[in-house]
Amino acid sequence: MGSVRAEFIKLRRSLSWAVVVLLPLAAVGSGGGNTALSGEPLADGWHTLWLRVVVFYGLFPLAVGVAALASLVWRAEHEGGNRNALMARPVSGLEVAVGKFAALAALTAAMQGVLVAGTVVAGKAVYGLPGSLPAEYLLVSVLIVVACLPVAALQSGLSMLMRSFGAPVAVGLLGAGFGVLLVALRADALAAAVPYSLLSRATQVGTGVFADPGPITAEGAADAAGLAAAALVLTAVAVAGTAAVLERRDVA
Amino acid sequence: MTGRAVANEFAKMRRLRVAPVIAVLVLGVTALSCLTTFTYPGFADMAQDPARRPWSLLLASLGLAVPLLSPVLLAVVASRQVDIEHQGGGWLLARTSGLSPGRLCRAKLAATGSLVVAATLLQSLLVAVAGVLAGIMAPFPAALWLGSTALVTVVNLALLAFHLILAARVPNQLVGIGAGVMGVFVVLAATEMPAWLARLVPPWGYYALANPAEVGTDGAAPGEPAALSVVLLGAAACAVFLAATARLDRQEA
Repeated sequence: MGSVRAEFIKLRRSLSWAVVVLLPLAAVGSGGGNTALSGEPLADGWHTLWLRVVVFYGLFPLAVGVAALASLVWRAEHEGGNRNALMARPVSGLEVAVGKFAALAALTAAMQGVLVAGTVVAGKAVYGLPGSLPAEYLLVSVLIVVACLPVAALQSGLSMLMRSFGAPVAVGLLGAGFGVLLVALRADALAAAVPYSLLSRATQVGTGVFADPGPITAEGAADAAGLAAAALVLTAVAVAGTAAVLERRDVA
Repeated sequence: MTGRAVANEFAKMRRLRVAPVIAVLVLGVTALSCLTTFTYPGFADMAQDPARRPWSLLLASLGLAVPLLSPVLLAVVASRQVDIEHQGGGWLLARTSGLSPGRLCRAKLAATGSLVVAATLLQSLLVAVAGVLAGIMAPFPAALWLGSTALVTVVNLALLAFHLILAARVPNQLVGIGAGVMGVFVVLAATEMPAWLARLVPPWGYYALANPAEVGTDGAAPGEPAALSVVLLGAAACAVFLAATARLDRQEA
């Protein structure tokens, strides 16, 4: 628990808030702005707005954002003698890995919260849509946060291994591209084992684009539950892997 | 001295793994362009019918793939190439060796820029070859293709110069990478903007001006690249880069 608290204290002085706030707002601005610039109305109200905001965001900006956050969380440990100080603490590698992962999970959840809030504000203030964002998209948002977890855990491991800030982000972009390719090719079995594919697929739930059948049905809900289960398993594997590597590489 | 500085930048790239990042850029752009075109509904028929402009569809797909991937990866290349100086006290070392920060930045642009030019030409060539292999029967629009490739090269170099200066001024790599990610959203918005508005968001908006063909419901409508605007961007980028690097020379370490 102390490691988790320490990570949140470190985050206070970082620029993580910039990623958490600006990236989702850029997605909302881009999705909503493109609709305004194209002069086309929102044919299906909230559904069309959600689709335009979330689908592109899930193709790679979200994965790149999570990768940037992971680089940010590990950045302090690569400076000066901080890595030695980290490893000299009387805590296990698992505790350090879980602390980093918990901070990342909180940031990705906050990022999704900003996206939902931004979409609601755009829908109401810019487009004057009636009611509010349908509840199903709030559930999809929870699914997106769960699907972010294995990407966060994997990127945390990569950022632990790479001193550079940009290199893990480039790997994240490559992974996102590979993940989208698997989803587009409907290679479901392989996609279930690739964190980036799960993330991309989660952002498409209920939109009807790429591999998604459209409105969420009972079968779709079962698929979503399977996606969440796969995400949790991959998360556990990635965190355990990060901890195991950290135990064996105590000097940067 | 400058030649040595550029050679030194190439030596630094070995450990910075710039080559794999450039390879990701080339392969990613090629794959995305081909995927967009070859999975387009009815492409097989379109490839046999010159009247339906199959090359325009491929060029439009290339025009979509380049600005989606280049902003982030160019930001990564630039930030890695400059961060090594922040991390290892390279600015001071270079200055004591007679190489001012401004000249070091210019050497970095010459070295990374040559790779970016090669990558841009290569990805354009690979996409054209893929079109031929896919059986497109229409005559290859060489002038349009080469012109668009040249203009995209100018925009890529302007963006690279911007990121090099940004990385030199701001040691926190998050700022450079963040600008790259935000640039993708600007590019996306620029594709829907009228040309006059896209000109106001340099350098990202100029991708839309360099390759204005758009993928529509019935193939791609060919557009006329705004060559003069892109050339002016290139000239402005040169002037700003030279001024910014000269300013770096007057800055205290």
